[in-house]
Amino acid sequence: MNTEKNMKVALTGNPNSGKTTLFNAITGKIERVGNWAGVTIEKKEGDIKESLNKTGFQITAVDLPGAYSMSPFTSEEGITSRFVKNESPDVIINIVDSTNLSRSLFFTTQLLELGIPVVVALNKSDLTKKKSTTLDVKRLSELLGCPVIETVSTNGNNNGLENLISKVVEVKGETQTAPFNNKGVNMADKSSVEASDKKRYEFVKEIVSKVEDRKISSNTQTKQDAADRILADKWLGIPIFAVIMWAVFSISQTHVGPFLADTFVGWIDSLYVLVEGLLGDSVSPVLSSLLLDGIIGGVGAVVGFLPLIMVLFFLLALLEDCGYMARVAVVMDRFFKRVGLSGKSIIPMIIGTGCAIPGVMATRTIKNERQRRTTAMLTPFMPCGAKLPVIALFASAFFNDAAWVGTSMYFMGIAIIIMGALIVVRITGEKNARSFFIMELPEYKFPSIKRATISMLSRGKSFIIKAGTIILLCNAVVQIMQTFNWQFEVIAEGAENTSILAGIASPFAILLVPLGFGVWQLAAAAITGFIAKENVVGTLAVVYSITNFIDTEELALVGDGANVASVMGLTSVAALAYLMFNLFTPPCFAAIGAMNSEMENRKWLWSGIVFQFGMGYVVAFITYQVGTLITTGTLGTGFIPGLIVVVGLIGYVVYLMKKGDEKAEKKVALSV
Amino acid sequence: MPNIIVILVIIAIISAAIAKIIIEKKKGVKCIGCPASETTKKNCSCNTSNK
Repeated sequence: MNTEKNMKVALTGNPNSGKTTLFNAITGKIERVGNWAGVTIEKKEGDIKESLNKTGFQITAVDLPGAYSMSPFTSEEGITSRFVKNESPDVIINIVDSTNLSRSLFFTTQLLELGIPVVVALNKSDLTKKKSTTLDVKRLSELLGCPVIETVSTNGNNNGLENLISKVVEVKGETQTAPFNNKGVNMADKSSVEASDKKRYEFVKEIVSKVEDRKISSNTQTKQDAADRILADKWLGIPIFAVIMWAVFSISQTHVGPFLADTFVGWIDSLYVLVEGLLGDSVSPVLSSLLLDGIIGGVGAVVGFLPLIMVLFFLLALLEDCGYMARVAVVMDRFFKRVGLSGKSIIPMIIGTGCAIPGVMATRTIKNERQRRTTAMLTPFMPCGAKLPVIALFASAFFNDAAWVGTSMYFMGIAIIIMGALIVVRITGEKNARSFFIMELPEYKFPSIKRATISMLSRGKSFIIKAGTIILLCNAVVQIMQTFNWQFEVIAEGAENTSILAGIASPFAILLVPLGFGVWQLAAAAITGFIAKENVVGTLAVVYSITNFIDTEELALVGDGANVASVMGLTSVAALAYLMFNLFTPPCFAAIGAMNSEMENRKWLWSGIVFQFGMGYVVAFITYQVGTLITTGTLGTGFIPGLIVVVGLIGYVVYLMKKGDEKAEKKVALSV
Repeated sequence: MPNIIVILVIIAIISAAIAKIIIEKKKGVKCIGCPASETTKKNCSCNTSNK
């Protein structure tokens, strides 16, 4: 029960109408926003900030996932519908995209029927004006029977938000009347619901015709349409995407990133030298090594990549904000639907480029169970932010900072996803299933530098927190494990193979021989990567005693591949195979937890993990053996045992696919 | 004596890291360090009730 001076306000509206941007603007929070539909998948709460709230009320705003209707189609629409029906907010703020009034008002008319006071925030009103469309706000308010306030939630000033909040308090406690009512409609009868919806659409159309004056007719080709014809073209779309991603990697990892990293690494180096000087010779080498190599060196090696990652996230945020990433979804859709995935699967995968966890969680927007589980299983194949230091390290150390390494890892991830989806759809016997994807493309706009900066800083902060907690602890444990043997005696110099770490990692290393990196140090780094992928870099730094991977004098990442290769005992081909193994085997444990939650089925979860291990192993094996054959003319070590494993894995998958095909044929026969 | 100081420093650093993880876990952030942990509170671990 709300007390008299406390209010709860629900923010509702169609997807991509700007709810979370408005929520951030009125609460001062920095929740993730995106220029496409389906970014918010759960409700979030925040108190309205004092600068906007002069009413004396304590107002809590609840940001709800976007919905087109009160009859939920997807689970996140259900959250919205249930909240406004069951939790009785004091007022509903309905965010309406003023550039698309006819589509938005359908939901508005349903909200007005609930009896809860509604205030319409006519958002993106700046874009309406730019399009020379005029809206009669007063008339709209009269026709809907509720206050309508023009807002521009992306503006710092004159955004209408203060007015919106005062209006919200004004209408508290009033009873809302509905201009359109479908009382008496039998909700169980599909045809009567459809007839009622049709009437509602006609009602909305009538309102729009009375209040909206469009100068540009919807059948005129605009500059936006012309851009879409090129960027979302079925032939040009992919090469354009490749060039853009290459440019992003080139800027972040070859030019701007390393330049900024220099300063950063300089600080880490100074700290290392300072602590080393303070310790002197009087401190036990074990303690000195734990503090210098394990903690400062290990964490420093990971943190050294922070500037590169922040530049990359800044650029990706710009691409997302300007509306381009939504076009990528359209470009990829035609490939995805052929392999039995929903076009909606693309959104989780794009979100997964930041972090696999929210990416996997975003799969709940997919209604079809098989598609949802398949997407949750395949989303971690997109290289996430945690994998970027690993990519940056190997690209710089073995491939002279080449931007193609990072770019090709993304495309490799996409290719594996398509192949994986094809395998899953065959195994599940649903190869004949067809899906359709309707996505509302957001308008292109000049990306917000502020939003991109906020996104970059928040990711940077999280990266540092992770480095200072999980990575630090892991590196300390790794350092201790490689300092002592099983009798807990300090190992002698040159006897590292007798350490606890070597003892644990060596059996795994044997399995990795056919992949070109069968040494315990690399196996240990790959294992710690399952706790957090950045650990791969941190562990490599600890086990090889490399303080940092960035050459401060050269203003670049370590480019001497031969030197690093000799330290790690890797060829460039084996390094590429190792990189792919780390990227395309299962993600970190937290992401596996998210997979468990979204799949809701142990069999799917374990199959998914085994599939990810198998895929990573096969890809690394092919890369190493074929690469070695091309570069040296002979096959790599361990070819025959590796081939037996790979053929066994592929043979089992083919067997399952054939079984699935039989199932699919039976289904077709039954349906006929 | 210098060894004791270094041991104390290492213990302090590691304790601070563990304490931070525990505090975040108590706040409901189940996956510390996840770039989306701010927006996925209560849910990294997997709230399935809303399906």
